Amino acid sequence: MVETKMPPDAKLAFPKCVRLESKPHLFCPGCGHPEVLKALGFAIDELGIQKRVALGVDIGCSLLAWDFFNLDTIETHHGRTIPTMVGFKRAKPEGVAIAYVGDGGAYAIGMSHLINAAIRDENILVIVVNNGVYAMTGGQEAPTTLPGTRVKTAPCGADRHFVRAPEMIRNVNPNAYIARGITTIQVGLRKTLKEALQHQVENGGFAFVEVLSQCPMNWGTLGRPEKTFEYLEKTMLAAYPVKKY
Amino acid sequence: MAEKKFLMGNEILGQAARAAGARAFYGYPITPSSEIAHFWAKEACSEGGQKDDLVFLQAEDEIGAGFMLIGGILAGTRSFTATAGPGHILMQDSLAMAEAMRLPCVYYVMQRGGPSTSTVIYSQQEVNLACFGGNGNGYRIVYSPSNLQEMFDYGIRVFDVAWKYRFPTILLGDGMLAKTLGEVETYSVGERGLVMAEPEAYMLERSPRKRPIADIMPSPEFEVRAGEDGTEYDCYRNCLNWEEEALAVNEETKDAFVKAAEEVTEWEEYGQKESRILVVAHGIVSAGVKSAIDQMGTGEARLFRPITLRPFPERQLREAAVGADRIIIAESADNQLGRIVKDALYGSGIDIVEHYRPSISILPEEIVGLIRSNAD
Amino acid sequence: MANFKIVICGEGGQGALSVAEIIAQAAHTQGKRALAMPFFSTEKRGGVSMAFTQISDEPIPYPKFGKADLWVALSQRSVDRIAAWLQPGTKVIVNSFLVKDLSLLKGWEVSEIDAVTVAGEEVRNPRTFNMVIMGAMVGLIPGLDRSAFTETLERHFSSKYEKNPELKAQNEKAFGIGYGLTHK
Repeated sequence: MVETKMPPDAKLAFPKCVRLESKPHLFCPGCGHPEVLKALGFAIDELGIQKRVALGVDIGCSLLAWDFFNLDTIETHHGRTIPTMVGFKRAKPEGVAIAYVGDGGAYAIGMSHLINAAIRDENILVIVVNNGVYAMTGGQEAPTTLPGTRVKTAPCGADRHFVRAPEMIRNVNPNAYIARGITTIQVGLRKTLKEALQHQVENGGFAFVEVLSQCPMNWGTLGRPEKTFEYLEKTMLAAYPVKKY
Repeated sequence: MAEKKFLMGNEILGQAARAAGARAFYGYPITPSSEIAHFWAKEACSEGGQKDDLVFLQAEDEIGAGFMLIGGILAGTRSFTATAGPGHILMQDSLAMAEAMRLPCVYYVMQRGGPSTSTVIYSQQEVNLACFGGNGNGYRIVYSPSNLQEMFDYGIRVFDVAWKYRFPTILLGDGMLAKTLGEVETYSVGERGLVMAEPEAYMLERSPRKRPIADIMPSPEFEVRAGEDGTEYDCYRNCLNWEEEALAVNEETKDAFVKAAEEVTEWEEYGQKESRILVVAHGIVSAGVKSAIDQMGTGEARLFRPITLRPFPERQLREAAVGADRIIIAESADNQLGRIVKDALYGSGIDIVEHYRPSISILPEEIVGLIRSNAD
Repeated sequence: MANFKIVICGEGGQGALSVAEIIAQAAHTQGKRALAMPFFSTEKRGGVSMAFTQISDEPIPYPKFGKADLWVALSQRSVDRIAAWLQPGTKVIVNSFLVKDLSLLKGWEVSEIDAVTVAGEEVRNPRTFNMVIMGAMVGLIPGLDRSAFTETLERHFSSKYEKNPELKAQNEKAFGIGYGLTHK
């Protein structure tokens, strides 16, 4: 049991559905994940669906979210969160099923699950955290790594191709809710996640939100937030537009 | 009501799942198991579209199907899949998680030729995979039926056992049984007085649990905490931080498995007790051995047949081996059952003859010859 | 009746598996014990399929067997594929429209049935050739009553009969011709 080390009024800063006992969280300093999760928590609070949410988290940094919330949460295998939540939702349609996945889990090892869930218009929400790199395994190339970026498995620089997931999903599903957000625009991100959840609550079918997120650890910008956010808000944003698709 | 029907093995399994009260099927087509999916798809379909009370979902691959199955289990639904050969390999991904987290997934596996894509019809080469696949220690329950009636009987039992003991459970048949058309007696569980273990959700179970998660899942893998209004929220993980935690998961799972084994282990002996040759075989090969023993009618040999390959009836085999001069292991695989049997008999000193015919059927006549040549 | 063992082999699409299943089903309808097991490769077209049917008054312990009492080859390649199932006394039927070389079958009494020609000329539907073969097979199976087949065929082909009502009479006619060719 982890006893809370938070000041007594800390809960005012968090969504109600956050589990304070598991704070401080286990993500690296400066990581974008807690900001995505915080926006998700506020969206859940606003919709009043805490008791109905089934959250699936992938392997990769997203696994650290396994006890982030007071939400029923399952940690699955790398890339397998989407089918797990698909199976859950089919068996329990009154639940609100969320798959929380990194860009490696969603776009590489789990790509066929993602695209087929979209094709079948599964009534789940998939949140993909895009930081352009395999973070937990130590900075390898992801399908999202931008051209020329030097990473552990692309020491000469990543190739010129990268995945544009919203376009890909739109191509197979004309009705899906599709949007991209960014950690540094919290209000927008919260609104986007709320809309995406609402889409599921109204049985609207597949919902997909990609979130641009920072990884100072693997970007080599730890302790230099200006560099971190320059990369996120200039380089990443130029390649990955933040908008509703 | 009990009824004699003339059905194909795969249809028998579909009917068994229905009789067991299964609600959800997630799968990917592969010969020789596909008719199980066909059956369930038809069951789940009504004139107004898919029925509310039954789930049928064809996945993008067997990995997807296996994890959808896990999703169905987490929702507290009796759920299953069916697969074979290369599909069975992919299913090990979900099986490893089900084994780690005590998720009662049911897999109907109809073995086909191997290795690789091989033939579509028959082998017993998925014993290693079914019993010990994955990166764990094989804490799963594996049944090996030997005829069409047992496909129905054990096709029901796997759902009871899986939910009662909370281990992934495999019905390991083969392509010949899957594709054979023949007579079977179907029945409802009620008329046989069978009581099926009730499923209970792992997630979004908002009524008080009859069985606390702490009684099921290894302790490092879950956190149950009360929210502000007293609602309990369950968080589960399979990624652990320390080797001590991993050891605890393995030991707690093993303890539960050993305890379950006392009640779950099943075996069958056939023939005269004083016969000096003991043939060990499972599944359809054991049906052939029985036929051989009957044809000979001279009492040279008897059969020991594990019905559960996991947990394996080790003690029962050692007891059965007492008085035997020679043990013949016969299987349509190379040393898969053999390895388990020899492990169980270690130190017995009894002469062992290994008859391995990977991916090809073993006819009763062949077994007669085998027994005769070993009778002197 | 002791366990009567039938092996039938044909090119993909010739209906060998259906014939084996229908015979087992009809035997079951008559209160016999019966099993039918297909054995096929991945080639739905262009490969050979074989099937094993057993009929008995006693429970049948194992779905496959090594030697047949009735042996049926629908094509030349099939002859080679199932040659090993011949034993002294095996009754042999070949579809002589496709099986021309009988050299492997010396020593057996062979019913050469030009099923395709018969089905084309007498039934006016060459596709019913496998019903001719099935009739001929039933003529050689002891203890089976041909009347059981009317009902079984009707059940097996119900959806096809709905689309093509003429097929019912054609199938029955083809079956009857085949039966007459072998039944003594």
